[in-house]
Formats: sequence, structure tokens, C-alpha cells
Amino acid sequence: MELILIIGSPIVASIASFFSSKRKDCETATIVAGAVALAAALFAAQKVSSEGTYSPNDYFSIDALGAIIISLIAFIGFIAALYSTAYLRRETEKGIIGFEKVRLYFILFNLFIAAMLLAASTSNPIIMWIAIEGTTLSTAFLISFYNKPSAMEAAWKYLIINSIGLLLGFFGTLLFYTALTHGEGIAFNWDYLMDSAKNLDPMIAKIAFIFILVGYGTKTGLVPMHTWLPDAHSKAPAPVSGLLSGLLLNVAMLAILRFKVAADAAIGGQFTGNLLIWFGLISIVLAGFIIMVQKNYKRLLAYSSIENMGIAALGFGFGGIGAFAAILHIIYHALAKSLLFFSSGNIFLRYSSTKIAKVKGMLSVIPATSLVFIIGFLTIVGVPPFGIFMTKFYILSEGLKIHPVQTIIALAAFVIIFIGFLTHAAALLFGNAPEEISKEKENKWTIIPLAVLIIAFAVLSVYLPPPLKILIDSALTKYQ
Amino acid sequence: MIDAMNNSFFQFTAITAVFLSAVLLHITKRNSTAVSLYFIQSLAVAALLFQPLFENFSMIVLLMAGLTLAIKAVVAPLFFSKLIKRHQLKFSASTYLNTPLTLIVIAALAALTNSRIFSHIASIDPDNKKILALAIAVILVSFFLIINRKGAVSQIIGILSLENGIVAFALFSGLEQSPALQIGVIFDLFVWVIIAAVFISMIYKQFGSLDVTELKHLKE
Repeated sequence: MELILIIGSPIVASIASFFSSKRKDCETATIVAGAVALAAALFAAQKVSSEGTYSPNDYFSIDALGAIIISLIAFIGFIAALYSTAYLRRETEKGIIGFEKVRLYFILFNLFIAAMLLAASTSNPIIMWIAIEGTTLSTAFLISFYNKPSAMEAAWKYLIINSIGLLLGFFGTLLFYTALTHGEGIAFNWDYLMDSAKNLDPMIAKIAFIFILVGYGTKTGLVPMHTWLPDAHSKAPAPVSGLLSGLLLNVAMLAILRFKVAADAAIGGQFTGNLLIWFGLISIVLAGFIIMVQKNYKRLLAYSSIENMGIAALGFGFGGIGAFAAILHIIYHALAKSLLFFSSGNIFLRYSSTKIAKVKGMLSVIPATSLVFIIGFLTIVGVPPFGIFMTKFYILSEGLKIHPVQTIIALAAFVIIFIGFLTHAAALLFGNAPEEISKEKENKWTIIPLAVLIIAFAVLSVYLPPPLKILIDSALTKYQ
Repeated sequence: MIDAMNNSFFQFTAITAVFLSAVLLHITKRNSTAVSLYFIQSLAVAALLFQPLFENFSMIVLLMAGLTLAIKAVVAPLFFSKLIKRHQLKFSASTYLNTPLTLIVIAALAALTNSRIFSHIASIDPDNKKILALAIAVILVSFFLIINRKGAVSQIIGILSLENGIVAFALFSGLEQSPALQIGVIFDLFVWVIIAAVFISMIYKQFGSLDVTELKHLKE
């Protein structure tokens, strides 16, 4: 029942939006669906934390990490639904979009959420692949939403690069099938794969994991397969950018981790761990240098996502306490990055530009958003006492024991990223606002959803509710 | 015995057609020819899917093979043909490498299938090693097509050809999915084809060209 509500409610909202002729109906359907999916997801997560897994039938099974990801999708999806409503209303007031665009937005937004939820809850790797491909298809038109040449270009790049990546991931998935005897068809689920993966030919296991890492790594935004990400995340409407960065990357990471467990059963953890460490490290370093010279605040956030996925990869590569921190890191990153992208939407609504040079004096023009942005900035760069400080600390401390050189390089990159971020944040927040930008009261519905994210982040930084702690511990036994 | 020989002759002919289509996709300059070559390639893949039905009839396999035929060999080529006619996109944008160099790279890629890594993959089913090596060659050659071509239509056909190569590989290595899952993948492909066709149309309207090197608005 929970799964029907989790996946079914956004699909129903999408269909309702399709047949709707009023903006309010689309908004109501999306918000109600978001609330229902959230309640059902939390209920399912509670079940997983008490029973280990939740497997209502052959096609679906939610494990501990899946439950964490599903809860994140449902929670941030619900917040994004609230924020989207206010954001799109402001865009309509400014004459940027009309009703048809709003309707298209809510149709695709809900499909996107449903596809991510399906990917994280299915027990079958092929259905997961189909669902992740579904996220590409549902978001391509959201990236080209404003029909500008640059948005069209970003969407094309997104479609082509991700499709190639996912086909390579599909090939890797097929190679993992060699672990099984023929004719098992639908019975081929994650648990079965992980149990039988020890039968894999070691060479095939290595090749298969490389295809998986390159394929799903494209979707995760790991360097050098990341090239679509800054374009897509910067051109999509702000709420969608938040979902792409905060959620979709985690779903693809989940796929990589599941195949990692299978590959490790055949060849041990060193090969996959080293690959994750190197891809993670290169992602952190490249993102660091580009963040320093970035001229566009949405692209800045996009490169920060590449960096943070690199940190998670590094943590899972190191294993041990690093893997524990990596799981926490993807939770914190999802909250902090969606917060920052949503606040970037407020900045865009007031300044009508995403160029850092054109945004000055935010503190005086949009003080509430500025406060949110400052908190988001402090959290994402890992300033104590926020959670990301702790996760980086744990990952680096684990890394120092086994890979000191890579760890020191990562630490140096974190310093560069902090300086780069601080410089850009200061440029946005201070100075004199352009004359044409007037100070107006901010719409409370563009702030309240962000405040909820801040509260969630702050609470989780200092306190892990027992069910979440159980889920993380359980995920750790499987994925480290 | 004769049946087995006929079967393997049929399979080898089909995979050769798939491979040759992928190679010829590199050489052709006309978009309509590229679509025709994709049609032939898809027809060969669909024929391979229909083949098991002659030994063991199964409704779900028939449905899956029929859908594959309908979407890959009918719907997709029709979509792209209409698109080409509507926008009069006779010729594909040029390639990064010239034809002789392209052919050298294709030969190198085909030779690469004998390398240690790919040879190991082709050995998944030792009885079909040569056929699997050809399927891997289709994957590599299609991948190169996507990289080497500047035209949006060619890139899309390259991705579809890559998918055909993977399907052929799965078939001959015995790694094909249950028919229900294959129908899911085919449905996904169907939606993908529609979206790709819409994007090609939108790009042409926006930029007046399908040369992807003309897309330069993102350089910031």
C-alpha cells in the first residue's frame, strides 16, 4: 500500500495536471501528492528501520539506503512542490511564462519525482535502469523550459550525454547477469545479484563495474563525465535545479553502490574502492578550480554538486567510517543544495540574471533570501557545527590512514573551494545594488519552504533520530 | 544438424548486417540513407528476436519481438524520415575526421575486439565468440559515430545503433532479459525516440542548423 502511494501519487498528480485547465488544480494536485508520498515514504522507512527491508512483491524492495534516499526524495520533493508554486507564480507575474508552461512544468515535475522514487524502490536493476532513463526523459523538457537557445543547447547535451552514459550502464548491468544461471528473468533482483555475484568471473566483474561507473557516473556528475551537469543545472528552473542536484545525483549514486557491493563480492573491495577514490578526487579538484573562476552563481552551485558527489565517492571508496560519513554526506548535501538552488531562484526573480557580476547588494535587496543563502553557503562549504563539516572530517580522517596523498590533495581542494565560494558569496551579498533593482518585500512562500529545509538540516546536524540512525547503520553493513 | 547450421548461418548473416550498417552509417552523407541503414539494422535485430519463436512459440516473446520491430524498424525510421522531409535536411553535417581516417579508426576499433579485455567479454559464450566480437564491434563503431559526427540526426541514429549493438550482444551471450522487462526497455526507447525527434525539430527552428558545433551559447 505504501509503495502504491509513494509512486502512484506523483503519477496521479501528473495526470491530473495534464487534464487540468486551472493553475490552482495543478498546484493543489502536486502539493497533495507530495504530502501523501512523504507520509507514505516515512512510514515505509520506519518499516525498513524496524524490519530490515520492505518487500511488498517481487518487483519492489526497499533496503536501508533505499529508504533513506526515498525519504529524501519525498521530503525535498514536497518542499520543491511548495516552492515551485510560489516561484512559478512570480514568474507568471513577471510575464516570463504562461499557464501552458506551468501545466507542462507540473506534469513533468511529478513524473520526474515518480521516476526517482521508482528507481530507488525497485528490486530489479533493469527496472532501476528504465526509471533512471525515465528521469532523463522527464527532465529534458524542464531543462529547455524557457526555450532560450542556451537552455535548448543544455537540454540537448543532457539528453545525448546521459543517454550514452546510461546505455553503457545498461551494458555493464548485462555483464553482471553472467553471475546468474540462465532463465531467471524477473527473479534477478538486487539481493539475488549480491548473493550470486561471487560466481562472477573476476575480469568480467571488473569490466562490468567500469561500465557501471562510467554509465551511472555520468548521471552522478563524476568528472570527466560531468560536462552536461553545469549546463543543465544552471538552465533549468530553480526548483528543478534543486531536485537535479539534491536528489537525482543520489539516485544514480545508489545504483553505483549496489553494483559495487556485487563487484566486491567477486573481486574484493580494493578495485572498486580505488576507482571511486580516483573519480571522486578528480571531481573534487576540478570542481574546486572551476568554482574559483566561476562567473555564474547557478553554475557555481552545479560545480559544488560535482564536488560533493566526489566527496561521497571518496568516502565510499575509503570505506569504514568514511562510508558512514558518505551516507550522511549525501543526506546533508541533498538538503543544503536544494536550499541553495531554491534561494538562487529568489535571487533570479529579483535580479533577472544568473551572472555574479550583475548581482550586488543582496543583503539590502532581499534580506531574507540573503540570510538563507548565507546559511546554505556555510553548510555546503562545511563550516562547523553544520553536518557537512563532520562528514568531511570523518572522510578525511579515514582517508589519512589508508590514502594520505589523495586525502591531502582533497583537503587542499576544500580550501580552494572555500576561498572561491567565500569570494563569490561576498560579491553577491555586499556592495551597492544596481539602480534598477528596487527593494520589495519578499513573498513569504518563497522563503518558508527554505526555512523548513534549514530547520531539517540544523536538526540532523546535531541529532539523528533513532530510525534514521538504524537505517544508516544497516546501510553501512551492506555498502561499506 | 542442418537446422543448427541454418540457424548459425542466419545469426551470422544478421549480425553481419548489423555491423555493416553501423560501418556504412559512418560513410553516408545523406540523412535519408542513414535512416534507411538504421531501418536495415533494426530489421536484422528484430529478425534475431523472432527466431526463437520458430522453435518454441511464446505469446510474450512474440509481443516483445513485434514491438521491437514496430518501434525500431517502423516508428523510429518514419519519425526521422518525416523530420528530414519537413525541414529538408538532405545532408548530414560533416564529421570531425575525414572518410579515410574514419575508416582507419573503424578498422582499429574492429581489431580492438580481439584485445584481451574485449576478447574476454566475447568469451562469455564460447560457442558464439565470433558473433559476440562482432556485436562488441557494433557497440564501439556506433560509439565512434556519435563522437565523430557533427549532425544531430547522425548522433541520434548513432545512439540507436549503439542500443542495437547492446541488444545483439545480450541476445548472443544469453544475457537477454525476461520479455516483460524487454518490453519496458522498448517502451523507454519509444519515448526517447519521440523526445529526440522533438528536440531535433526544436534545435533546427532555434538555430537554423543541425550542426551541433553551432551550439555555442553555453560558453561562459
